[in-house]
Amino acid sequence: MSNPFELMPRQYSPFWLKAVCLISGIAIGLALATTLLMLNGVDFKGIVREFVLYSFISNRGLAQTISTATPLLLVGLASAIVLKLRFWNIGIDGQAWLGAIAASGIAIYDVGDPSFRLLIMACAAIIAGAVWVGVPVFLKMRLGVNEVISTLMLTYVAFLVAQHFLYGDWRDPSTSWPVSVTFDESSERLQRIGFGHVHTGVWIALGCASLVSYLMLAHRFGFFLSAIGLSPKGARASGLPVPIVVILTVLIGGGLCGLAGFVVVAGQEYRLTQYVIHDLTFSAILIAFLARFNPIAVVPVSFLVAGLFTAGETLKAFYQLPLSLILVVQAIILGSVISVEFFSAYRVRIKVSGLLNRQINEEQSRQTSQQ
Amino acid sequence: MEFIIYWLSATPSYAAPLLLAALGLIINERAGVLNLGAEGMMACGALAGALVSLAFSSPLLGIAAAVISGATMAAIFGGLTVVLRCDQVVSGLILVALGAGVTGLLGRDIVGQTLPGFREVDLWFLSDLPVVGPVIFQQNTLTYLSFLFAVLVWWWMYRSVSGLRFRAVGESPSTADANGINVIAARFLAVVVGGAFCGLAGGYLALASSFIWVEGMVAGRGWIAIGLVIFARWNPRQAILGALLFGAIEALIPRVQATGMDVPIYLMMMLPYLTTLGVLVVASKFDEKRSQEPANLGIPYARQDRH
Repeated sequence: MSNPFELMPRQYSPFWLKAVCLISGIAIGLALATTLLMLNGVDFKGIVREFVLYSFISNRGLAQTISTATPLLLVGLASAIVLKLRFWNIGIDGQAWLGAIAASGIAIYDVGDPSFRLLIMACAAIIAGAVWVGVPVFLKMRLGVNEVISTLMLTYVAFLVAQHFLYGDWRDPSTSWPVSVTFDESSERLQRIGFGHVHTGVWIALGCASLVSYLMLAHRFGFFLSAIGLSPKGARASGLPVPIVVILTVLIGGGLCGLAGFVVVAGQEYRLTQYVIHDLTFSAILIAFLARFNPIAVVPVSFLVAGLFTAGETLKAFYQLPLSLILVVQAIILGSVISVEFFSAYRVRIKVSGLLNRQINEEQSRQTSQQ
Repeated sequence: MEFIIYWLSATPSYAAPLLLAALGLIINERAGVLNLGAEGMMACGALAGALVSLAFSSPLLGIAAAVISGATMAAIFGGLTVVLRCDQVVSGLILVALGAGVTGLLGRDIVGQTLPGFREVDLWFLSDLPVVGPVIFQQNTLTYLSFLFAVLVWWWMYRSVSGLRFRAVGESPSTADANGINVIAARFLAVVVGGAFCGLAGGYLALASSFIWVEGMVAGRGWIAIGLVIFARWNPRQAILGALLFGAIEALIPRVQATGMDVPIYLMMMLPYLTTLGVLVVASKFDEKRSQEPANLGIPYARQDRH
């Protein structure tokens, strides 16, 4: 059997090679995505206008990008820390739903003093998100139940919980739509900061980003986390508290997702609807991968990914293209990034002929004998 | 009694798409490839089936398109995971996103149109038998085919030489490689065939179950099928039982609704998802060592890696 390509796993891939691979992966992804958009009737000038000028430079677009980036930053952080452990939390949407439901519940039933209402809503959202991911992590640690399926199943359940309330007790009687009553203006909404729709949630998200960055990059916890991610067996053998670190990290991730749900309902929608949470999971995974699981890099990357959504909204308005197009664009970018990684993991050698092959082998054996 | 017959007769048509998807995934996973993209491949299959069946008013062509579209999506996945050795979980999620996105994009114009599909066959006097008639002999052709496929796949996997070789690829690829089996080719083939089954499952949903295309109509069935595979311990014969169980639960929801009983409907719709979760817990209790799981599931193979 003659396979003309020979793969050599690289023992070590230098930083420049990884950087080149990441950048060319993104470039290929963007090129493919541009082609796809042009096939759908958006000309190149239009793409530049919507994806660059409008989303990142015009005032209105920039404001929308920042407010979309706020929940994305939170879920991106969550995804970056748990993926480092190879814990596949793909129920981010579900945890955000639970956060949104919990925050809305506090607002609807007026729990606690109005001056602390927002704080209570945020705490309830964090706890709800953590509980929602707590079940899968418990099942995984105790019984070895695959977390991919359990987190995803709970996402469907979370959405149905929201439906149950929206078509039931929480429905606003004054409209015919399944939406909850709106939140109280003074005590239950995150205030605008005076730039379009951008609200104080953006400070919450940036605060979380610095906290997580500190934990991951300057604290012992982050070191443990990296060690466990690289080799759980090795970490256990060297006496690190593996289960505690894993459980804590996953719960923190769930809490961040819950908080993202809170930010959406209290900062953007001011009520619970069927559409408050959508497509967060895949965006979060894309952000984590592009940021190389580094919490500081998550900040700019989630901003850039949010720009895709802003552009998607305008494409929807002016070109009648559905938002699912943005999902395709995201999938294409992530796909090309991970495929190009192949070249930093393997050295591809083309076997020209048996003679050349023999020469290489001889050279290798000479080198080893010299060593 | 009438309720039970009604319920049981609806069960096979809910079970069949789950069974088809599970078969595809078993073929994938027995070769050592974990494909989480079932949901995406099913979505593509459903849309392709709907589009082609509408365009040519031929359900048969529609089902062929569903199979081809599933296999095409799977080929992308195979390129990523088998050829380029990308992470199988991420690649699977990419497939899900791609499926959801592409179908949302291409299916805009046919949302809600009634599709020509596969109706129940009339098996003459058999269909008129009490109880067994409606439950067994009033199903559509695709349903019978899917149960037949399950038996065939089981027979091939456990009773034929090529099936044995195929399972070896998932258990110990380096041993298989040393025995002259082309691991990369076998895995790629398994991925494509598995994708074809998932596409067929999607086509079933559109052309033999709902007769309509709606975005998001797969509704997590691809993920339930992944859970079903673990429950069935990677065995096509046990997958039949599992699919019937899940099908029965899914069939229960509209039946209960139809009786006009006052139940919280959205809580009831959680049943399939919660059952999947419950079944995984039970399966892990009974088989804590995961003795039936293909030993090299999810691990990319490269000869040079020295496994």
